[in-house]
Amino acid sequence: MISTIDRNDKDITQSLKVFFAKLLEKGVVDALLLPIGLPNSTAVMPSLITRPDQVDQAVPLGPSFFINAARMVSRLSWKESGRKTAVLLRPCEIRAFIELTKLKQGSRDELVIIGMDCPMALSRTNYDSYMENHSQADDHWINTVFPVPGKDADGYEFSPACASCQNPFPVNADLSFLFFGADLDQGIPVRADTPKGEEMLEALSLSPGIESDQEPANRAQVMKDIQEDHGAVFKAMSKDISQQTDTIEKLNSFFSSCINCYNCRNVCPVCYCRECVFSTDVFSHEPIQYHQWAGKNGQIKMPSDTLFYHLTRMAHISHACVGCGQCSNACPSNIPLSQLFTSVAAQTQAAFDYVPGLDDPPPFSVFHEDEFQETVGIE
Amino acid sequence: MEDFEPAIVAFVCNWCTYTAADLAGTSRLSYPDNIRLIRVMCTGMVDSQYVIKAFLEGADAVVVSGCHPGDCHYINGNYKARRRIKLLKEILPRFGIDKDRLKLTWIGASDGIEFAKLMTRFNDQVMEMGPCQTRLDRAI
Repeated sequence: MISTIDRNDKDITQSLKVFFAKLLEKGVVDALLLPIGLPNSTAVMPSLITRPDQVDQAVPLGPSFFINAARMVSRLSWKESGRKTAVLLRPCEIRAFIELTKLKQGSRDELVIIGMDCPMALSRTNYDSYMENHSQADDHWINTVFPVPGKDADGYEFSPACASCQNPFPVNADLSFLFFGADLDQGIPVRADTPKGEEMLEALSLSPGIESDQEPANRAQVMKDIQEDHGAVFKAMSKDISQQTDTIEKLNSFFSSCINCYNCRNVCPVCYCRECVFSTDVFSHEPIQYHQWAGKNGQIKMPSDTLFYHLTRMAHISHACVGCGQCSNACPSNIPLSQLFTSVAAQTQAAFDYVPGLDDPPPFSVFHEDEFQETVGIE
Repeated sequence: MEDFEPAIVAFVCNWCTYTAADLAGTSRLSYPDNIRLIRVMCTGMVDSQYVIKAFLEGADAVVVSGCHPGDCHYINGNYKARRRIKLLKEILPRFGIDKDRLKLTWIGASDGIEFAKLMTRFNDQVMEMGPCQTRLDRAI
């Protein structure tokens, strides 16, 4: 079912705010999780809203992407709250959240997931400079990236993760805003993907779809073009990063400025362990241990175990990497982590024929008797 | 390299391959002492990071060996190990660690002869491959 959010002479941002406020006013949901602009700041953070007037601070479709909200949604849903919450998420946030639900770290039961054709995002550095002469209160960004996105917006390149993202389309949502290929002057198409979504649209009594339940006519073509364009970007980037890291020596250089802050782990929406082994006593080495390690080669870099940490993370979660790029954003040393991780992830996900964010069980929770025979044996 | 002595770390499961190694010993079969056995309860508990750590510490090769499919003492640990080895064989070669330096085998408790034979053969193969790059370029 596809309906239309009428513009009524309002801009797109405003029309969406009205839509969200109505959800609260009509009691369709008890709360909303929306990206909210923080006062006296250009920062935008997911915030839980229970009062309709607070919707006014929402930035539903901005270039800001400070944090992958999947973890926040997990905090809201790991256990019953008795409250119905609608959450507005980018496609990669939905995919990451779905991965967490598979590990019982969240549940869709009390949620309505609202997805969107993705407005892409700027890297943190670019965002700061963009915000020096732009505002997020108007439709400027939206009109730049929709209905057909280019490679950049106003000369600001999308973040590397977004520029190489081949799936900026909502999957596994209850409701999806469809922007690509749409004539947004005629209203904003919103598609119900589940019975829960349909109920919600009915409760709001929106206008029927522009072309009787059809997706925007050009959407399929725009999607195909994005997949091709971004696919080419990804391929080139992946080749480049693979060459930059194809020996341990080069990998050492790649990570040489890593300060072991573990920010990349902390912001990663799919780094799911409650307690990471790298933060346990396993790595509280005895002082003499460092001397022994140093003694082997005459020196040991401290902080130690840098490559060990990054390689372990690749082994543990690359199958679930949704390519959101937050690891790069969080790195104080500006190591292009997401380029390396998404490149590795593409390979490991292909090896197990796994696409994170869909409903398949995670590859390390299942096995088959007769698989991967070629990995066994000494000839 | 004439005087190259490989360092091979072997994670062997308590119930099958370790018992096979023990049997090889009591049968007075010899196998290269470059193979360092680490007894684990099941190959299913050999986390990827054990293998990664071994390579980063300068191992030239790593073997993971457990019970034949269907014989796992814990029912399916070896199937899980197989997926993990598959994963590592995708990741490690990207960084210059040849996938042939990582082996997974099934050696049953009564296969003492097989154990000695495979370890000897693998040691020869690693000798041929030469030292792993991680021995020369230490990981930071």
